[in-house]
Amino acid sequence: MIEVNELSKVFRKPIRGTGVSGMVKTLFSRKYEEIRAVDKISFTVPDGQIVGYIGANGAGKSTTIKMMCGILTPTSGSILIDGVEPYRRRQQVAQHIGVVFGQKTQLWWDIPLIESFKVLKEIYQVSDADYKERMDFLGEVLDITRFLSQPVRTLSLGERMRADLAASMLHNPRILFLDEPTIGMDVLVKEKIRQAIHALNRTYGTTVVLTTHDMNDIEDLCSRIILLEKGKILYDGPLTSLKNRFGNIKTLTLTVPADIRAETAPVLSPDVALSEEDGRLILRFDADKTALEQVIQYAFRDLKAMDMKIAEISIGDVVKTILEQQEAEHAEKI
Amino acid sequence: MRYVHLYFTCIKRSMISRLEYKKDTMIALFSFFFSNLCSLAALYFILQSIPALAGYSLPEVGFFYGFSMLPIALDHLFSDEFWLVAYRRVKDGDMDMHFLRPVPVIFQVFAETFQPEGFGELILGVALIAVCASSLTVKVTLGAIAVLCIGAVFGAVIITSLKVSMAALAFIFKRSGPLLQIIYNFSNYAKYPLAIYPAFIRAMLIFLLPFGLFISLPVDTLLYGTHDPWLLCLAIIICAAVFFALAVRIWTLCERRYESTGS
Repeated sequence: MIEVNELSKVFRKPIRGTGVSGMVKTLFSRKYEEIRAVDKISFTVPDGQIVGYIGANGAGKSTTIKMMCGILTPTSGSILIDGVEPYRRRQQVAQHIGVVFGQKTQLWWDIPLIESFKVLKEIYQVSDADYKERMDFLGEVLDITRFLSQPVRTLSLGERMRADLAASMLHNPRILFLDEPTIGMDVLVKEKIRQAIHALNRTYGTTVVLTTHDMNDIEDLCSRIILLEKGKILYDGPLTSLKNRFGNIKTLTLTVPADIRAETAPVLSPDVALSEEDGRLILRFDADKTALEQVIQYAFRDLKAMDMKIAEISIGDVVKTILEQQEAEHAEKI
Repeated sequence: MRYVHLYFTCIKRSMISRLEYKKDTMIALFSFFFSNLCSLAALYFILQSIPALAGYSLPEVGFFYGFSMLPIALDHLFSDEFWLVAYRRVKDGDMDMHFLRPVPVIFQVFAETFQPEGFGELILGVALIAVCASSLTVKVTLGAIAVLCIGAVFGAVIITSLKVSMAALAFIFKRSGPLLQIIYNFSNYAKYPLAIYPAFIRAMLIFLLPFGLFISLPVDTLLYGTHDPWLLCLAIIICAAVFFALAVRIWTLCERRYESTGS
């Protein structure tokens, strides 16, 4: 179980000038600015849950993860990982968590993968029987057996990420922190990684905290999401209620004759928004307010649609909308 | 016991890494040997033109130089990774992996590299000592032998401790390589008898950066019986213990200031 309470992290950075003269002035200046990367956030993750931790770049996701796994010391507030503070008793917590940073490998660069695993086996004191069982399991779900004898530097990005995931699961951690585990992966590798996370969660009941920019990861894996913006939590709850927050939004993409334009087309009701993209018309509406049937009729009759595609709002759109609203509110205040 | 076993596992890993690049290892071994040979040659030519250095004869100065290489070589074998920490790894946020493992970070840094180049210096140092000793006529006592051994081994501990302390500052300043370099360069002073230096440098080399304590004083004790060898042994061991304890303390304090890098 992870308990985060009023957690903050403030970085102190000297206020820098630009260019050489500015940098020289910085040397003698004692002015600092404070950057609140994480601002008084609280949440609890029960055992066995898969949580999606999402937000724009620089929202404070990685900083929170780094505090939870003991790399960074919080400025204030507290974190308890199974009742233990990771920044006070780092080693004790490290034994029970696994961490993957998509951007950085934790494997030794120039030795065969299997040698890295052997060292990790010693570091985490994994017994021979457990090691064998785990390697069989990971070999199967992550398909890493093929390149075990290759040095890590010769692996492709997808192979390397699978290897990193395997390394983080070797000691059967109770909690897994994954910071962008699918970044830069192709569709097949992403799929494989998601399946592996699912398998691990089912087989061992591992708790997973996952940050990602890929909304498919979220929809596939997470029952709960925490949305972070500028160091604060904007939303924390199940995926479905976030989706319904804006109603039952659907979009219709229509192929229409060239003379039908968004500005001039007949309007059904103010609830149905019309826009144009790549010569196609996009209708956006709340299916709970305006019946789908009615809109389709309108599309064929009034807009002379030749083809159409119906889509539900994606979680990506929801997040985008929330973030845009935030930006707008922020701009108004200023 | 667990840590001894773990250390050897990690060292084996480090050796496998080195052997991945065979030519690189050979070049490094050779270049270290060669650069030391060059400085020895330079010393030889200088001493050729002056009959003696502050009363020390050529073989005596050679003995000094050879002996000074031993603690430096031992330190080089075991703690080379701290150079990288000081110059690069903290700045690049490359220490994250160590913070994620259930083993002290400082132990992991020690276990990260074993530098076989150190053997080159060790062999050269011993050879130089052997050559110079053959042309010296001193009464070798058990105490003198002991103080030389203690000086070499615990001297290495002191050098390593200074290195660890300076590298630890990188956690605060992001990069402490140049600072480490300055401290380390003082070991060059210790390659010559203390007698050639003015009093304040002499004092500094005994009390502050005690290179003189474990290099010059033991050699003087062997050559001229200047100090009580057993008392000197004790002083070196105590000094090494204090320095090491301080270094570990400084490291653990600084470690918590580690900030990593964004993403």
